[in-house]
Amino acid sequence: MTRTEREQGKSKKFHSYYDYSLLFLTLFLVCFGLVMIYSTSSYNASRDYNNPAYYLEKQGAFAVFGVAVMLIVSKIDYRFYITKLPVIKIKPVTLLYLLCIFLQTYVLIFGDKIKGAKRWISLGALGRFQPSELSKIAVILFTAYIVNLSPVKLNKFRGFIRVVIFMAPLIVLVLIPNFSTALVMAAIMVAICFVASRKKLYFIVSGIIGIGIGAIFIFGVSYRSTRIDVWRNVETHPRGYQILQGLYAIASGGIFGKGLGESMQKLGFIPESHNDMIFSVICEELGLFGAVAVIMLFVLLVWRLFVIAINAADLYGGLIAAGILTHIAVQVLLNIAVVTNTIPSTGIPMPFISYGGSSLMVLLFEMGIALSVSNQIKYER
Amino acid sequence: MARNKTFNRRNVFIIVSVILITAVGLTVRLGYLMIAKSAEYAQRAEDLHERERSIKAERGIIYDKNGIAIATNKPVSTISVIHSQITDPERVIQVLSDMLGLSEDKVRKRVEKNSSIERIKSNVDKEIADAIRNYDLNGVMVDEDYKRYYPYGSLASKVIGFTGSDNQGIIGLEVEYEKYLKGTDGTILTLTTAYGAEIENAAEDRIEPRAGNDLYISLDVNIQKYAQQAALKVMEAKNANNVKLILMNPQNGEIYAMVNVPEFDLNDPYTLTENMRKDIEPSSLTSEQTNDLLNNMWRNACISDTYEPGSAFKIVTATAALEEKVVKLTDNFYCPGYKIVEDRRIRCHKIGGHGSETFVEGIKNSCNPVFMEIGARVGITNMYKYFSKLGLFNKTGVDLPGEAKSIMHKPENVGAVELATISFGQSFQITPLQLLVAASAVVNGGNIVIPHFGLQVKNPEGNIVKTFQYDGAKGVVTKETSDTMKELLEAVVSEGTGRRAYLPGFRIGGKTATSEKLPRSSNKYISSFVGFAPADNPQVIAVLLIDEPVGIYYGGTIAAPVVAEVFDNVMPYLGIEPHYNEAEIKKYNVGTIKMPDLVGLKKEELKAALKDMDYGDIYYLGEGDTVMEQFPLPGEMINLNSDLILYLE
Repeated sequence: MTRTEREQGKSKKFHSYYDYSLLFLTLFLVCFGLVMIYSTSSYNASRDYNNPAYYLEKQGAFAVFGVAVMLIVSKIDYRFYITKLPVIKIKPVTLLYLLCIFLQTYVLIFGDKIKGAKRWISLGALGRFQPSELSKIAVILFTAYIVNLSPVKLNKFRGFIRVVIFMAPLIVLVLIPNFSTALVMAAIMVAICFVASRKKLYFIVSGIIGIGIGAIFIFGVSYRSTRIDVWRNVETHPRGYQILQGLYAIASGGIFGKGLGESMQKLGFIPESHNDMIFSVICEELGLFGAVAVIMLFVLLVWRLFVIAINAADLYGGLIAAGILTHIAVQVLLNIAVVTNTIPSTGIPMPFISYGGSSLMVLLFEMGIALSVSNQIKYER
Repeated sequence: MARNKTFNRRNVFIIVSVILITAVGLTVRLGYLMIAKSAEYAQRAEDLHERERSIKAERGIIYDKNGIAIATNKPVSTISVIHSQITDPERVIQVLSDMLGLSEDKVRKRVEKNSSIERIKSNVDKEIADAIRNYDLNGVMVDEDYKRYYPYGSLASKVIGFTGSDNQGIIGLEVEYEKYLKGTDGTILTLTTAYGAEIENAAEDRIEPRAGNDLYISLDVNIQKYAQQAALKVMEAKNANNVKLILMNPQNGEIYAMVNVPEFDLNDPYTLTENMRKDIEPSSLTSEQTNDLLNNMWRNACISDTYEPGSAFKIVTATAALEEKVVKLTDNFYCPGYKIVEDRRIRCHKIGGHGSETFVEGIKNSCNPVFMEIGARVGITNMYKYFSKLGLFNKTGVDLPGEAKSIMHKPENVGAVELATISFGQSFQITPLQLLVAASAVVNGGNIVIPHFGLQVKNPEGNIVKTFQYDGAKGVVTKETSDTMKELLEAVVSEGTGRRAYLPGFRIGGKTATSEKLPRSSNKYISSFVGFAPADNPQVIAVLLIDEPVGIYYGGTIAAPVVAEVFDNVMPYLGIEPHYNEAEIKKYNVGTIKMPDLVGLKKEELKAALKDMDYGDIYYLGEGDTVMEQFPLPGEMINLNSDLILYLE
């Protein structure tokens, strides 16, 4: 059926929407990320692997693969995830949830230990996979699914608790090795519930209680309270080195920066500057203008997701879009807050930009879902 | 859209609003860090990135009186390694140990040491450094540097001194004038990575070094050379321990030469000279012993060692007596060969005695009893008054480190015996330079001079930075006494014990001395002579000490002629022309003659032709009988006793 035929056949035809702005924003961020990864990692890569493009090549491969996945996923109707699969009679979202529970348990027992934390599953030649990244998708999809089953229940606190009980096993499994990811996941869950709820009061109350419990947790566990010490005395504490170096990088960027590739701090002063600390090098090389431009890009991204969320064809799509929005926004904000030493240090990568295959793949997968949600928006011409 | 309720949209909007507010907050925080804190943190970051490498400043040059450089710099290199930049450690170790002549272990230790930069060797010759640079080894740095170089080697070594590995003065003038010579080191600031590797093409902050100022001194290389040669000659001839010789301008204290033979090589100051090593197996020395020997070798004995001046000190005794008017030139004395002081019988050097003599003859004869007598007449209080006036209780103030003080009896401990011995220069010790200063004051009309080398300091651009002033006490001896003393001391040389210092055409004054070293029974002597010229208006004064000469040890016999020889060279050099009196012209055949024409004469005819002429030696060049050419040319006015050169065919 050609376009003209359609227009002729029905004067009131609904057209499928596809958010190209979101797509190009995503592609732009991924490309910018690759540039910054090359800039930050080339010195260390040539030192350690004798190949300045070592990290770029790996990340580039993930990016290409990830973009392909995103495009495919964007063409899959998101409602597929809550439709029972024909043979096994299980919904994909439940399957994903159970898989994540399994992987998180597996990683706790058999995971590769890197820098004292068991977070990775070795995939042999393919490198390492971080299941907690996958769990973020599971949290978005599964929370949205549960809430969507009976949104009115969310108007009462008990309904919220019901969701928490469903999600708790996965979040707790992630929490054990990886506090910051669990925090992001909890934020996503709460945000989705919040969107579905008519009442605000119990969120505020439970928010206060949550912060209280969090504070006890933070000050109670020794290594996390060390982080508090480091945060307060970043200039004198021996373990404040990395953050302090990041601050030096940010501050020495000034308003216009030193120019792309001209960072001094990436030359071994900031350990693994292509990872979580990449934003500090962006600040050093591109200055306050560059940093604000990056923040603006993310704001644009959030705005596109917001548009998708409020225009989604159904509540499920809207909740998914809100979850993805929360995921990206929370990571960006936490990452910037950490590198600027606004909050105590915790390992949160900058979405799309920081080095990390699992993280990039999962984010692109999420953007695919968001595009899929956008694709179901129908509008009249 | 139908199922998407308004409150859902509002809730999403609330979330986005919270996100935006947080984002704005973080942007403000970023702005604070990147604007308000920017300068402070950026500076701290820069401190972290910068490595400072110093560029050594060129040390100032020391010029002699004629503007000849006697302490200069030559370019050398410092070789260092940067551990993190070395790619082929084995090759680096091998090349460096081969080229620098260091043991492999030593180089390996430094190469393998994990430090940001490690110095392998400094003061490497330019050729070797260039060769190492040509190997183009990663991680090996060749830095240009300067090394002190002394073009005259051992000349005035103990005066000039030398510098250490950091170009700092170790002894001599190099120490004394350190602050002028040193200069200010520059720095190169380079950016390095966290692993210490320098970043190429990074803008270098460079602070240029400032070369040190140049020092101009009164020492004259030519005079020093004459003096050093003469001293060396007599040291070898008399098999002496060492010979000291100072030449000074008695009018203003400028030192022309200060010799302490044996000298050492300033370009190799840490190698013991032969005389220091004799009887010692070098390998058996502990480092402490080696150090002691080196310090001894470097010691400037002219100012750091004291001795009993002996008869030369009679200059001071006579001056004191004349000033106190306790003696007249015509006073008569009698020397039986000794003088009894209290219960002691103190001998004269002439066992048989000088018999009856006037004061003038007493000085000429250097008669001890005469001086014991006049010393007693002056008395210890007055004697010490003149010691003090003549600077014998103080250091001379010479601009060299390590000057010794005199060793004197306390006045209350001086009895008649001590006074008697003091009168002829025994039982106390002074430095040779102190004696020279006292003698200068006696003969220059009564002014104390401060002996010195340093005249001026000029900056590298040639502008005068400082002109040194040396003001000593004036009028410590009256003009009359000074004039009398000059006459008396000239008589010592022309007719007395100093005869051998006599130099036809010049009026020389002086006093000989032979000091017996302690303990007296050892029969070791210091033969010395203090001389000045011209006697009526002294322009140069010298003191010579021969330490432990073997054989004849009388100062008048062995020391006086050396000073005469030096004066013979130095006086014309200083522009003091000889003036012969009639007796001298006759006696020493002084004069000029017109050179006759000898060309064409046969060899056998020459004798007749030159019959009336006093010539030196004839040198024949070529084979044959007939003179073809001659030198000097015919008709030229030549000095008597000149040598002739004749070309034969």
